[in-house]
Amino acid sequence: MGAKLVAIEYVFGSNMITNADLSKEFPDYDFDNFENKVGIKRRYVVKENETALDLAIKACELLFNRVDKSTIDYIIYCTQSPEYILPTTACLLQNRLALKTNIGAFDFNLGCSGYTYGLAMAKSLINSKQATNVLLVTAETYSKYLNPKDRSNRAIFGDAASCSLITASEVDAMHEFAFGTDGSGYDKLIINNGAARNKYDLLAENIEYGTGNIYTKNELYMNGPEVFNFTSSVIPGFVRDLLAQNDLNIENIDQYIFHQANAFMLNFMRKRLKISEDKFFIDLADGGNTVSNTIPIALKQYSFRLNPLKEQKILLVGFGVGLSWSGGMITIDNNL
Amino acid sequence: MTKQEFVEKLREELEFEIILTPDTVLKDVETWDSMGAMILIGFVSDNFGINLTGEEVKRITTIQSLIDKIGDDKFS
Repeated sequence: MGAKLVAIEYVFGSNMITNADLSKEFPDYDFDNFENKVGIKRRYVVKENETALDLAIKACELLFNRVDKSTIDYIIYCTQSPEYILPTTACLLQNRLALKTNIGAFDFNLGCSGYTYGLAMAKSLINSKQATNVLLVTAETYSKYLNPKDRSNRAIFGDAASCSLITASEVDAMHEFAFGTDGSGYDKLIINNGAARNKYDLLAENIEYGTGNIYTKNELYMNGPEVFNFTSSVIPGFVRDLLAQNDLNIENIDQYIFHQANAFMLNFMRKRLKISEDKFFIDLADGGNTVSNTIPIALKQYSFRLNPLKEQKILLVGFGVGLSWSGGMITIDNNL
Repeated sequence: MTKQEFVEKLREELEFEIILTPDTVLKDVETWDSMGAMILIGFVSDNFGINLTGEEVKRITTIQSLIDKIGDDKFS
């Protein structure tokens, strides 16, 4: 017995923003160069009154077109864009989707490392016989946290939600997972105000960073070069360890799917790990960096590119805010 | 690599359209931004095995100060 990822659905925010749209707002910035380097053409953001939960509901409804929702017996909900500070958004999801009440449901707060964490938790719940059909949801709307004049982050981040069904199966399709944490980098990607440590500040002053970007401490701040430095120094070694844990070599993996943070950073790690281009997924042109959603989106897209689909060994790795990273090896043999 | 080769390769990586000299101040280059900082960190890491932090990149002024940071002995 084991666990298997069998289906994924996802949706983006309702409003599309192209690089051409952004260059109207920021005429001095070279968005062609941005597109070449970072690999993003379009990102989608939610409407004013639309939330991450709304996107999550849409994604789940797509899934329930092909999965009997009464079989779901556990919800794991990954978000940093909850509906409320409390209650737990997973509880609201249970109600909005009219799922049965004798099920487990909880949120966890992780960003770009969240999806791989969620898979590991789903696997554990199934292998310990606490659940048989786990609904893993990721939902994020960073657009609500960005200053309108924060060009860098507005260009990179997009809003999306995904849901994945992990189910008990005869074959074990979820193999070894590993984790990493370095909280000393907590302030490299942070929203300072609005939770318990610092109150939301109505008079928060504008702070300039990078090249002409503006944010306040009520809003999201990312130190891009530091995050790149962390990723490029930690992740290649982590990937080698994760492969060893799975008794595999670099060439044994059919496809590497890393968190789609930005194309330059991904290529940098690909070259360092000596992975060929065809085995390394890079496609964030449509959607951008959607935080914990990039891996499920990429996984689904990848599974539909293969025809016919024979069993694929896939190495998944997420990394980011925390600082936090996690990864695992899974096998898939169907279109997700 | 020689310092000259380094400066030329760096210019290509950063896609600067100006001529770089040891006296060029990075922040004064019109197209220098945080993406450039990321590219610079990657370039130095690949070629010299040195991982510059974001803070260290911030403190770099001229190309010469970058060469000093990497270390004179690293160049042929």
